[in-house]
Amino acid sequence: MFHIGILQLTQNLDDAVRGFKQGLQNLGIQAKFTYLNADGKVEMLPGLAQKLVDSSVDLIFACSTPSAKAAQMITGEIPILFTPVFDPVSVKLVDSMQTPGANITGMSGMVQSQDKIALIQELLPTAKKIGVLYHTADGNTLIETNNFCAAAANLLTIKKVAIQTADEISLLEEILPSDIDALFLPIGRIVEENFSSIAYYADMLEIPIIASHAPNVVMGALGALVANHTALGLECAHQAKSILIDKKSIQDIPVGITKTPEILLNSFVADNLGIALTAELQKKAKEIYA
Amino acid sequence: MLLTRKSVELLAPVGNWEVLEAAVKAGADAVYLGGKHFNMRMHRTDTNFDNEMLKKAIDYAHQHDVHLYITINNLLSDQEIEPMREYLQYLETIQPDALLVQDLAVLELVRELGITIPLHTSVMMNTHNEHAINKLKEYGITRIVVGREMTLSELSLFKERTGIEVEYFMHGDMCISESGQCIHSGVVFGQSGNRGRCLKPCRWAYKLIDENTGEILDADSPGPYKLALNDMCMYRNIPELIQAGVYSFKIEGRMRTAAFVEGIVKTYRQAIDTYIADPCGYTTDEAAWKNLYENRSRDFTTTFALGQPTAKDIGFSGRREPRFFSQAVKEAGLSAPIVDKINLAIKQPEKQQLAVRVADLAAVKAVCQNGANVIYIGGESFKPVKVWTLAEIKEAIHIADSYQAKIVIDTPRTTMRRECAELEQFFTALNEIKPAGIMVSNLGSLSLAKRLTNLPIQADFSFNTFNHLSAKFLKDNGAVMAVASLEASYPQVCDMLSASQLPVEVIVHGATESMICDHNLPAMSLGFNPLENPEFCDRHYALLDTAKEVHPIRIDQYGRNHILFAKDLCLLPYLAKLQGVTSYRIEAQHYTAELAGLLTKTYRGELDKIKTNSAAYQYDPAVLEAIKKISPRELGSGAYRYRISR
Repeated sequence: MFHIGILQLTQNLDDAVRGFKQGLQNLGIQAKFTYLNADGKVEMLPGLAQKLVDSSVDLIFACSTPSAKAAQMITGEIPILFTPVFDPVSVKLVDSMQTPGANITGMSGMVQSQDKIALIQELLPTAKKIGVLYHTADGNTLIETNNFCAAAANLLTIKKVAIQTADEISLLEEILPSDIDALFLPIGRIVEENFSSIAYYADMLEIPIIASHAPNVVMGALGALVANHTALGLECAHQAKSILIDKKSIQDIPVGITKTPEILLNSFVADNLGIALTAELQKKAKEIYA
Repeated sequence: MLLTRKSVELLAPVGNWEVLEAAVKAGADAVYLGGKHFNMRMHRTDTNFDNEMLKKAIDYAHQHDVHLYITINNLLSDQEIEPMREYLQYLETIQPDALLVQDLAVLELVRELGITIPLHTSVMMNTHNEHAINKLKEYGITRIVVGREMTLSELSLFKERTGIEVEYFMHGDMCISESGQCIHSGVVFGQSGNRGRCLKPCRWAYKLIDENTGEILDADSPGPYKLALNDMCMYRNIPELIQAGVYSFKIEGRMRTAAFVEGIVKTYRQAIDTYIADPCGYTTDEAAWKNLYENRSRDFTTTFALGQPTAKDIGFSGRREPRFFSQAVKEAGLSAPIVDKINLAIKQPEKQQLAVRVADLAAVKAVCQNGANVIYIGGESFKPVKVWTLAEIKEAIHIADSYQAKIVIDTPRTTMRRECAELEQFFTALNEIKPAGIMVSNLGSLSLAKRLTNLPIQADFSFNTFNHLSAKFLKDNGAVMAVASLEASYPQVCDMLSASQLPVEVIVHGATESMICDHNLPAMSLGFNPLENPEFCDRHYALLDTAKEVHPIRIDQYGRNHILFAKDLCLLPYLAKLQGVTSYRIEAQHYTAELAGLLTKTYRGELDKIKTNSAAYQYDPAVLEAIKKISPRELGSGAYRYRISR
């Protein structure tokens, strides 16, 4: 029986935890869990991580980048598995994806930009000019924005729309170019949380939104290509097995990345915008919200 | 009466199976949860229970001697009536211990289908007087979740008078608006707070300004989150709650984690059990309190339980706000709403009228002169305008008579003990004065009016009439007309108009209210004491949001604050498409007599043209320009910009 600590930032990540537990069960790994959730409060994470270390857990499953950072700060010895962390290298969780580091590895939640662009092209074949709305104070957002722009070169014209603070969304109509064919939203909390206000203005201009956060599709984005959190959790369970049962050195367990991102679509939005969702796309979609 | 372990029910929120197990384990007496449709938490697809899981959850709860209540507490559109009928039939087979309801249509359906499950009114029904409770009891309601604006003494009294079982939100998130009476999210975003999709405009940043001068009044304020009410916490007031006669101690938070719910339930379980075992020997467990306090998300408040909230009950800084759901946006103007793209043909009623709500005698005269058929007066008067006296009402009737127009007397939206007592006297007096009718805003005043007068009674917009079955409920209970909800989109209004047996009024123009609050918002933000400076309440304040929209605040004679939308509703360009309407209504109580008169003249003219020859009718934009020129605010199309109000 192993003792596993779970450090979670918000309940938005429940699926990852559920997948992880399910994965352990599938692999026949018996474990008791100490589950701590900061309920969105980043500043609580170091204290919670300390609690897990104090109770001598065998492994910490850290959900989200801040959780992983907090756990890493507190312990250099207890193995840490993280997910979904967008870019673990740039936030210095690991040295490299291939050889992560002393006691930490996990699953990245990144979906490759070229795959997102491919979805945009399939959804909106005539789209040429794409707006990218991004929050400049969010590290992951900046990485994805750069990746996206680089991957779009020669394929699409990109119009970057930067916001420094959340309340700048209130005046989005003043800065949103009206001639874009679609608006892409990279990952990032501010944009994801306030999605409805972004959609409100995009809707007025009849601009479809391609999101990166699954719940935003339910709320009115035309579509998104996302990593399935349950699947990430399941993959982490395999990594846990390598550490706990197979006694593999963490150095030798590369950071994984989702191989099967999922297409989510919203047919109500498509109808409103007069966009046809091809039979092929509908077939490929994991979920179509009406 | 002596207290036993059964005197109190501890009721926990449940969003998924893990939370269910945690709540039961922690000692909840009952849990409440939602299915996949028709409840107040519709944003997330990963919470709530599908039909099969609902059955399993009921079995699990009953095995552990725990009651399970299912929330079906949102307003329904006509398109959703049939799915609701099927859902109710399914629920009847799995027999939860109660259903929590908001829409009056559900009461109709339950009766029609012979559903045997007990019914509880959701807080969204905004039940706040004994007359409403007595009416609801006729429909099988066995328990009410009382409005959050009730003080403990008020709720004790009506519990005593009606014998109803009382459920009270005693821990968790709160609305600053009266529950079920906030339409901000629905009208602006097409995502209704009354349909489980609130985007929380009350959590936006605002500046408090003088509406007339634009001067910023709160430069020294502790922060911009003027409406960000703190979280309810009655942990230190368990004895007061129990002795007030509250039976069900309700914890808010169906999106919360298992760990969170387990912790809160355990804490309250312990306190309740300790008190019941030895009331005189009870003291607050300070260690438990410390734990609760240190793990709070927002700061704590007891809101109205122990009296009027003050500035300390608002989280001005926003520092502890767990997350935001939207940012302020510019309200939709008149360009290109969805109405243009949809053609619906509905039979026109034989008689159609133009009704105008006004603030004073000068406006009564102005609208009479310009062709109003019906004039609404009374109800709330907004400072510094004086309230209507009986003598003025007589005078208004006299004026209207000379133009063959009718006066209908409005009553306040909220009628707690004081207002109900006043209404009894008022209705009796109206029997003598004989206006053409009475307008009521809640079930209690409807019952009271029905009992005390023979005058025709209309149900106002506070009833949130969103479908033809809730209109039927109102008809069955003596109303002669209902108002279509301002949150309904054009196709949804048309669905209701074509199916309703009760004549329906549609508000086509005017300053409309997004929220009604029992808080004194300017006093809380500016720190003045209305007892020392009552004249401060006569000023016209407004909230300025980050999209630079100005939301006027109007204070009524009871001290309630009404927040208006930044743009006034104007459906003039779409009038020809609004068929099947019995009464077109202009909300002109915030306008001068001159503007009220001009609007009446304009709408009268257009309606007459449509009536004479609807096929040849062409809308002339110049008419609108004249109105725009003298309107105090910009004009907008409200929820009519949406195909479906979600």
